[in-house]
Amino acid sequence: MNTAAAAAAQYLALSRRAMFGTLRKPTSFVPSLLFPLMFLALTSSSLERSISIEGFPEVDSFLQFAVATAVIQGVIFGSISAGSGMAEDIEGGFFERLIASPVARTSILAGRLAGTAALGFCQAWIYFAVTSIFGLSVEGGLAGMLAVAIVAAALAAGVGSISVALAIKTGSAEATEGSFPLFFALLFLSSAYFPRSLMEGWFKAAATLNPMSYLLESLRSIVVAELSALNFFTALGIALGVLVVGLAVASALLKRRLAMDA
Amino acid sequence: MDGIDLAVQPGEIFGFLGPNGAGKSTTVRMLTTLLKPSGGRAFVAGYDVFKEAHQVRQAIGVALQDAAIDPLMTGRELLRLQATLHGIPRRKGRAKGEELLETVGLMSAAARRVGTYSGGMRRRLDLALALIHGPQILFLDEPTTGLDPNSRLAVWDEVRKLNREAGTTVFLTTQYMEEADRLAGRIAIIDDGRLVSEGTPAVLKAQVGDPSIHVQLASNEDRISAEAVLLDFGAPAAARSGYVAARLPGGANQMAAVVRALDDAHLPVEAIELHMPSLDDVFQVATGHRLEGAEDDAVAEPGAGEVAAEK
Repeated sequence: MNTAAAAAAQYLALSRRAMFGTLRKPTSFVPSLLFPLMFLALTSSSLERSISIEGFPEVDSFLQFAVATAVIQGVIFGSISAGSGMAEDIEGGFFERLIASPVARTSILAGRLAGTAALGFCQAWIYFAVTSIFGLSVEGGLAGMLAVAIVAAALAAGVGSISVALAIKTGSAEATEGSFPLFFALLFLSSAYFPRSLMEGWFKAAATLNPMSYLLESLRSIVVAELSALNFFTALGIALGVLVVGLAVASALLKRRLAMDA
Repeated sequence: MDGIDLAVQPGEIFGFLGPNGAGKSTTVRMLTTLLKPSGGRAFVAGYDVFKEAHQVRQAIGVALQDAAIDPLMTGRELLRLQATLHGIPRRKGRAKGEELLETVGLMSAAARRVGTYSGGMRRRLDLALALIHGPQILFLDEPTTGLDPNSRLAVWDEVRKLNREAGTTVFLTTQYMEEADRLAGRIAIIDDGRLVSEGTPAVLKAQVGDPSIHVQLASNEDRISAEAVLLDFGAPAAARSGYVAARLPGGANQMAAVVRALDDAHLPVEAIELHMPSLDDVFQVATGHRLEGAEDDAVAEPGAGEVAAEK
């Protein structure tokens, strides 16, 4: 097998392992899938009348307004499992098995993140499938849903890379899973649950500064209005930005750890 | 580690014996490119472990102390993954995986998640994983620690077979003297990070002294007479309660003569044992203390162990 083919096979094998590793641990995967759906069900029924407030974006229902939030929320929570999986590998010694083999070091990181991205992509379709039963219509159509799923995959890899960086730094699954509130706060301090046009004071300022608001608003526009290149690339750009930063930090930490170990 | 200087020949089973915390695993971690030493040089399969780590990783198979196996994967999946990590083409990797599952006796458990495996099964899978690419050199870090006697024997058999049939060089660390004695062609003893002795088990034991004969008498009143009889064969040796003992330079060849002499002196005997010098004796002479847990590691293997006779 030539070097490139071997590296591609290693990358795919480690991606598959990351994906199935998450799916085989329902205690970490199922809550991240169900919690956003339950939250969506709760907000859709309790905040339905808020869509008639003056200044609220034009939407069919609060469900249509909030579905993008549920997708991103699910993706963020699900992606933290990438980090906890890496930390468990370090704690359990499987990481040493990997680095004692001649596997390309980049595959260790890329394989795990690709598996997480694939899960994020699937998660988006699961949310669309479930919410469509309750009457969701996506104005951007099938292409719009695909666009949201692509952004979800990119964000999954981005958030995954940050949690992987934490795992490499701490080597502790517990510490990595402890990053959950930070991501939750980032989501909460954005326009995830309410439009910025109706916010006031410090909350509005925080949401305006938070890139998550722009990612969510772009995805929301695809759902409630139409698929446009601007919306898609704005959301994708922010997700990829998170990935670039996370990957840079994770790569540097991995290099440092390998230099320390080997 | 303090000035360890070792050379292992191709095709040999080299035992690295020492108590917990002596530095065995640290040495293995350095030789398998997992740990960067503060100084010194090491070559594995002719490659510098620091400058040519990738080539070293291609040449070696590693089974570390705690079988680091993903509990969520099945045995078969892990073997296939390991084959891929070593760049083995898919079809060849799968065939080799099946062959190894058969070899280590895990075929019936191949589709089960590793989390359901017993300690012995995990060790055997770990060994199979280390062998997937047919390594030149196999590093086994305490491969039988925590295993029951049957599983320990199974691992020993696999290691011997591998060395005999494939010519694989084996670097084995162990805290069990018996394991080093039965498996290794040559042994290095490490204590507190220092190499204290090195050689074949037979030579090391011969350096320690002669075998000793231990006689359990039917009556303690015959003790002095029995000691006098044994004195004709060799110097007195330390004996446990109820026994008299003497060095026996001729070993088993002198046993019949001792029995005859005791019989001629009308000294009834309950049991006679011939103790060969052990690696524990070697360790004790080299370090001044006994190897921790040395008395707890005996495994009954056909054709091995001390010579004993009962009357």
